[in-house]
Amino acid sequence: MAGVLLWVVSPKGNATALLSLIPRSVNKPKKRSFKRVSAISGAVANPVRSSEQRVYDVVLKQAALVKEQRGRKALDLEKRSEKTDGFTDWDLLNEAYDRCGEVCAEYAKTFYLGTLLMTPERRRAVWAIYVWCRRTDELVDGPNASHITPRALDRWEKRLDDLFEGRPYDMLDAALSDTVSKYPVDIQPFKDMIEGMRLDLKKSRYMNFDELYLYCYYVAGTVGLMSVPVMGIAPESKASVESVYNSALALGIANQLTNILRDVGEDARRGRVYLPQDELARFGLSDDDIFRGQVTDRWRNFMKDQIKRARMFFDEAEKGVPELNPASRWPVWASLLLYRQILDAIEENDYNNFNKRAYVGKVKKFASLPVAYGRALMGTSKFI
Amino acid sequence: MVCLSRFFVVSCTVKPSAPPLSRRFVHTKRKLNSRWQSMATDPDSSFSAPSVDSDSTADKTGAGFCIIEGPETVQDFATMELQEIEDNIRSRRNKIFLQMEEVRRLRIQQRIKCAELGIYKEEQESDLPNFPSFIPFLPPLTSSNLKVYYVTCYSLIAGIIIFGGLLAPTLELKLGLGGTSYADFIGSVHLPMQLSQVDPIVASFSGGAVGVISALMVVEINNVKQQEHKRCKYCLGTGYLACARCLTTGSIVLTEPVSTVNGGDRPLSPPISERCSNCSGSGKVMCPTCLCTGMAMASEHDPRIDPFD
Repeated sequence: MAGVLLWVVSPKGNATALLSLIPRSVNKPKKRSFKRVSAISGAVANPVRSSEQRVYDVVLKQAALVKEQRGRKALDLEKRSEKTDGFTDWDLLNEAYDRCGEVCAEYAKTFYLGTLLMTPERRRAVWAIYVWCRRTDELVDGPNASHITPRALDRWEKRLDDLFEGRPYDMLDAALSDTVSKYPVDIQPFKDMIEGMRLDLKKSRYMNFDELYLYCYYVAGTVGLMSVPVMGIAPESKASVESVYNSALALGIANQLTNILRDVGEDARRGRVYLPQDELARFGLSDDDIFRGQVTDRWRNFMKDQIKRARMFFDEAEKGVPELNPASRWPVWASLLLYRQILDAIEENDYNNFNKRAYVGKVKKFASLPVAYGRALMGTSKFI
Repeated sequence: MVCLSRFFVVSCTVKPSAPPLSRRFVHTKRKLNSRWQSMATDPDSSFSAPSVDSDSTADKTGAGFCIIEGPETVQDFATMELQEIEDNIRSRRNKIFLQMEEVRRLRIQQRIKCAELGIYKEEQESDLPNFPSFIPFLPPLTSSNLKVYYVTCYSLIAGIIIFGGLLAPTLELKLGLGGTSYADFIGSVHLPMQLSQVDPIVASFSGGAVGVISALMVVEINNVKQQEHKRCKYCLGTGYLACARCLTTGSIVLTEPVSTVNGGDRPLSPPISERCSNCSGSGKVMCPTCLCTGMAMASEHDPRIDPFD
């Protein structure tokens, strides 16, 4: 049974991306407004720190933590046993992981099939992370979202803190707790995801790409950062850890942008617009045009521009897959190639994302698998 | 009052986080008592809609009620006395009952206003509610649909009876492949010859029974699939997830680290087990996705499953 990886998309455009890539270069993709400064040239004093800067700080922190943990590996083992001391019923734990797998299979079939391409241990870890992300997403976006208050999110965050300290509340938390004890996963991306949920409760419009970038980071970039420790960096990789995380981030952002571009019509029907208002204005468009749902030449030009940017993020992400652990490259490549094809599908639909769903057919999906396998074999190569 | 003094004692001996709890409960209790009394005497009290709404939301958010459970939240109502708890349950159920009635009346008004403003509501209630068919591949059933179902059903039965009873013998059709007779057919598929001598009544009865039984099975399986579709996938319809603290046992064994350096010849005291505070001894905790209803899409009508069932 062949499988492909696909990002899970919830109705309001939140993506739960669970793969990461590692690029070599740390060049920031070109943006429209030039208030940004490339992070390589160091921190230039900027009165208003852009979202990219803030997000990149998180990336640096993650990378630093990984290096720190590599140095403290011996101590880590002791810590691990302490953490899992309270939870030694393996049957229950296995059952928890199986339940995570079932939930994943139910809500994200293609993604589930893709996880089957990973090693069994990684698969379980990915399922546990997926289920936590999905539960968090469903709090604000699910059928019972109307009963969720900011206080509820605070409590959810408290549960997250507890589970990272080895005190999970219920069995699905326990699966994640076990995962974070086995892999060096940091808590910050999880907290940022909850922060993104808080944001989603309040916001339904994004003024510029900066705001949208932050949102994409919160809901999808974080998932990339969460999964790098699980996928693992190849021991022979010479790329910096920051660049690995940066690519993971880029893949998350690329996936979220793709989701947004695919679901414009669906989101509009819910009264939400996930496109930067200033860019819409620049192309002579407004919310009304989106709600009306008609494809005009202005719309086509706007979409071309957006798709170009999304592709830039994919290119950024591609630079780093070769740096991953060899066992993890195939599923990650498969997912990347597949999601790129959604952008092609939008173009084939003549940019009509109001009524038509940009869909990648099964044949194309299957065809991506051997291509992904081929690229996975290439390792650290420069000719991509 | 004895209970009040107990609150204060409790607040003195526990951690700083507790006093707000006890304060809140004194506050809630007072509010609840007054409202319960007012509700008992004046059943129409809930119709001062705005004040009740703000009152109830203030009650909920002011009292700090939160729909997501946490390790310390299950103890929310633990400091109440049994009689208080029963009174609280009764008053809340009464409130729910009255609010459902309010919803009904509000819906009537909504319908009227929509009709006045000419807003067309897509979901028009029909005489017979729309529900999915248990037979796979068939469209959902409605009152008009039902007539079509009846007509199709009767005509099919009539057709088969006419075919079997009149047409087939008239045209002297022979059963079997390539125009062979029944005996020849049995012989050609190498089945025992006694099958060709089966009594026609028995044969038709068996065939009919097999058909009916398999049809019923198909319908039942489809029914199960549909019900499964409606249930919450995280807790598999139970409404609860296993408590990770006590590992579904309901009790935590308190382990005290014993030093083996000094006092090594003191006998070990038996471990004390106390009720797990996470799950209050039931071994399971609320599923935050379905909110203990077990349904994928929870509504106010869905009963909340009791953990001790």
